[in-house]
Amino acid sequence: MIARSVYCSVIEHLPMAIVCMFAGAAIGAPAQGDTSGDAERGRYLAVAGDCTGCHTRPDGGKPFAGGYAISSPLGAICSTNITPSRIGGIGLYSEAEFVRAVRQGIRRDGAHLYPAMPYTAYTKVSDADMHALYAYFMQAVTPVDLQPPRTSLPFPFNLRVSMAVWNSLFLSNARFTPDPNRSAQWNRGAYLAEALEHCGDCHTPRNLLMAEQTSRTYSGSRVSAWYAPNITSDPVSGIGTWTRDELVQYLKTGALHPKSQAAGGMAEAVTNSLQYLRSEDLDALATYLLSIAPIRDRQQTRTDDSSGGPARYEARLRGKPTTAGSEHPDGAALYSGYCASCHQPTGAGTPDHIYPALFHNTATGSRHAENLIAAILFGVDRKTGDYRAFMPQFGADSYVQTLTDAQVVSVSNYVLQAFGGSSVRIAVGDVATARRGGPTPLLARTPLILLIVVCIIFIATCARFVLRRLRRVQP
Amino acid sequence: MSVPTFSGGDADADLVVVGSGVVGALIADQIIGSGRSVLVLEAGPRLDRAQVVENWRDMSFERRVSSDYQGLYPQSPFATAPLNFPPNDYVHLTGKDGGSFSQGYIRAVGGTTWHWAASCWRHLRVDFRMRSTYGVGRDWPITYDDLEPYYCRAEEAMGVSGPNDPARQSPSNRSRPYASDMIPWAYGDTRFAEVVNPHGYRSVPIPQGRTVQPWNGRPACCGNNNCQPICPIGAMYNAVHTVQAAERKGAVVLAESVVYAIDTDANNRVTAVRWYDRERKSHRATGRAFVIACNALETPRLLLIAANAQNPQGIANRSDQVGRNLMDHSGFHCTFLANEPLWLGRGPAQSSCLVGPRDGEFRSQYSANKMILNNISRVGPATQQALKLGLTGTKLKEEIRRRAIHGVDLSISLEPLPESHNRVTLSESRRDGLGLACPDVHYELNDYVHRGYDAAVQQLQHIGSLFGAIEFNVTTALNANNHMMGSTIMGSDPRDSVVDRDCRAHDHANLWLPGGGPMTSASVVNSTLTMAALGLRTADVVQRMLEHA
Repeated sequence: MIARSVYCSVIEHLPMAIVCMFAGAAIGAPAQGDTSGDAERGRYLAVAGDCTGCHTRPDGGKPFAGGYAISSPLGAICSTNITPSRIGGIGLYSEAEFVRAVRQGIRRDGAHLYPAMPYTAYTKVSDADMHALYAYFMQAVTPVDLQPPRTSLPFPFNLRVSMAVWNSLFLSNARFTPDPNRSAQWNRGAYLAEALEHCGDCHTPRNLLMAEQTSRTYSGSRVSAWYAPNITSDPVSGIGTWTRDELVQYLKTGALHPKSQAAGGMAEAVTNSLQYLRSEDLDALATYLLSIAPIRDRQQTRTDDSSGGPARYEARLRGKPTTAGSEHPDGAALYSGYCASCHQPTGAGTPDHIYPALFHNTATGSRHAENLIAAILFGVDRKTGDYRAFMPQFGADSYVQTLTDAQVVSVSNYVLQAFGGSSVRIAVGDVATARRGGPTPLLARTPLILLIVVCIIFIATCARFVLRRLRRVQP
Repeated sequence: MSVPTFSGGDADADLVVVGSGVVGALIADQIIGSGRSVLVLEAGPRLDRAQVVENWRDMSFERRVSSDYQGLYPQSPFATAPLNFPPNDYVHLTGKDGGSFSQGYIRAVGGTTWHWAASCWRHLRVDFRMRSTYGVGRDWPITYDDLEPYYCRAEEAMGVSGPNDPARQSPSNRSRPYASDMIPWAYGDTRFAEVVNPHGYRSVPIPQGRTVQPWNGRPACCGNNNCQPICPIGAMYNAVHTVQAAERKGAVVLAESVVYAIDTDANNRVTAVRWYDRERKSHRATGRAFVIACNALETPRLLLIAANAQNPQGIANRSDQVGRNLMDHSGFHCTFLANEPLWLGRGPAQSSCLVGPRDGEFRSQYSANKMILNNISRVGPATQQALKLGLTGTKLKEEIRRRAIHGVDLSISLEPLPESHNRVTLSESRRDGLGLACPDVHYELNDYVHRGYDAAVQQLQHIGSLFGAIEFNVTTALNANNHMMGSTIMGSDPRDSVVDRDCRAHDHANLWLPGGGPMTSASVVNSTLTMAALGLRTADVVQRMLEHA
């Protein structure tokens, strides 16, 4: 799932192509009149596809009425109204037009959507499910006449037609095909992961043109300020050592203590979508994910959650002036002042895991410290059932205290060293990058001319391959 | 976005606010939100929560059990605040009850909401009509109903949890429910209420500026039980948050900027304030509207310091009432060991309160009271007591445990009346780091309060008997509660009051003095919510004035 956080700051400057949308206030979407069986099925599918994530403003917007401005390095992309309003929404869409929009990213008027809409995944959704989704949106969603502001990116990205070229390279307009050599459960899981939940949107690294690298599916990728980890079955770099039950628990609750707690985009995926999947679907999803071909990060020699331990630092701090408020604060003092009240001076958290332990934890033991930095800057907010896991942010809008870049560096490096048992150390630039919403993709940094040249070369080299592939998938 | 303009170190804004505590912050946030430029001048520094938390952890046992809430907060050398360990005599106290007026307040961005307990009480309807109803004190020129919508807005702005069951509200005259229902009671509050409520003491949940669910980016209270002197996780409302909200909208907040002079024109409108920066350089801030929100001690001090040729008795002081009618809830404590474990100390520091004696006909004769069941862990005092018994080893540990779980501490507040001889004046000898006069306070309580004390002691003896109390002790020396009120008193007659019903100075058409100062009666409840409500009411008036200007 993609990092489309309810906190605007998190999603600022998300690379355009990965500013996806998932999410699902759909569960709570008001029903309208009688709905058919198809519409009821569609409701579930809309949750599984996490449509709400982008199409409902997190600050109390009406379900699916859009208007959520997603900042990207290329400019703000505003999500559209997908209620059945004939004025503001998709009320005039025929089923065929709806299907074309969802699967191929082409609006009713023929204009191209930006791949912030994950149509490269949704294209795999079956005809029957597409029909149910259409029934749901047309029959069960309350129309809202409001027209959200239009997206207007700067040149050349305002030329939506350029997406036709991108699509010709990276969109394979084909439905999910079951593997007859695999079980029905595996195939169901594959369908959920690939088509609806669009896991690869975050977990698969992207190429220079911001399309998923199919050779490295699910091997982990930076997503805005966060890092979507390797979820292949590799026992060192991936989740190969997780049991299926553990993975199901994680998907359902967003937490598997002490290993890992979902934050950022994954917290949204759990909050909006995954927790609502039927248990047989969660089982299927876990079965599929645990079968993904292992991809090893060669620089990695141990699992992210196997290192570190409690620290005994408290006594050393007491009885002398604290450096916490000084210009060069000691990481231990900052930890004691800002973190220890919840995570405890030893880093062991609380026995009920309301406040997680910081050792044997992927956030502090990973080679990728992005998630530690992002959790500090943007906090954690995840709701499952009646329970809300919440860590306040220490970024610009903090209710607790806004930390400077230097303070974040200091406390992060203390946590990495003291609890994570990690040799990773971060620098001020890492924090500044995270505040900006992650590194600016090459696409947005490249001068226009160079961009065009690269595109032409790329198109030329890919053309034959793509054409062949298109021929293969379109009988 | 409208922003203040700066030129050669001087500033100009539509609204100039002095003080960045809860009142100044709420006003600043509203006015900047209405599209007018806002400059906030705060005498104290910006604080770093971790530093305060760590200072608290490093504090000596003696200072902890003596409730030193002041000493852990860094101060600017140019904006002294009271210190008690040892006393810094910044506020010099005289009069027979001077010793009971030893206030704690913070001069920093966010003000004293850094170490309040976040209790958010409303005055009762009758509290606004003390003279008419009971023949004592003064009537306010506004009624409860005038302020009620602003109480609601203040509660919403601070994220207050309170009992939504009307039977447990004090008062229950509410136009809107609390945004968040009451903080659940722990065992001690529940059991205590069960025992005392059949006798009319009416233990109710304290409305408070914290929530048990995350609120507006604020973490849920997890019961660190450390509201005072510092909430270590930021779960308690702190005006810093409102300051930040205002800053995001374009308000400019200058810390370590001490206002010392106020300029007025021929019509006695305020034209500018002048402030010293941290290098002692003087600057001037011009504006259309001015708010001084430094609460009931520093506001009158500033008004008196800023006396000018046109206002030789001090700004806003033609009535000679600036600094007078000073009030605080005179407090005392009752401690005992109950005959059953109550396990106090779980959850927020204050959670339940006995409001049965809050009102009644007796108020024509003597002071009302409220009795907070202090929910602060008793481990500190229990340790002190057990050590005095000369115990060691396991016996010491057991005795600490026994005392900690059976120990009760009630904090009782009495209601003073506004009296002109209780006042803030300027010291003739003591000067602060900038050479500005320090405040003197003269304080002598009316027998009304002392009779209220006697009545409360009788009630406490009864309560003690319900718990088979041993080591029952009631303090005899009154203590301060840090609820300063009355010193820029509100009234409709400019001859005996400082501000009008809108907290506007009678003498200056564009100067407002909201906060504790205008409060005309003290009631027995913490003053912050009423201060905040007066602040928001002021903000509406200021906003209208700026729109029509």
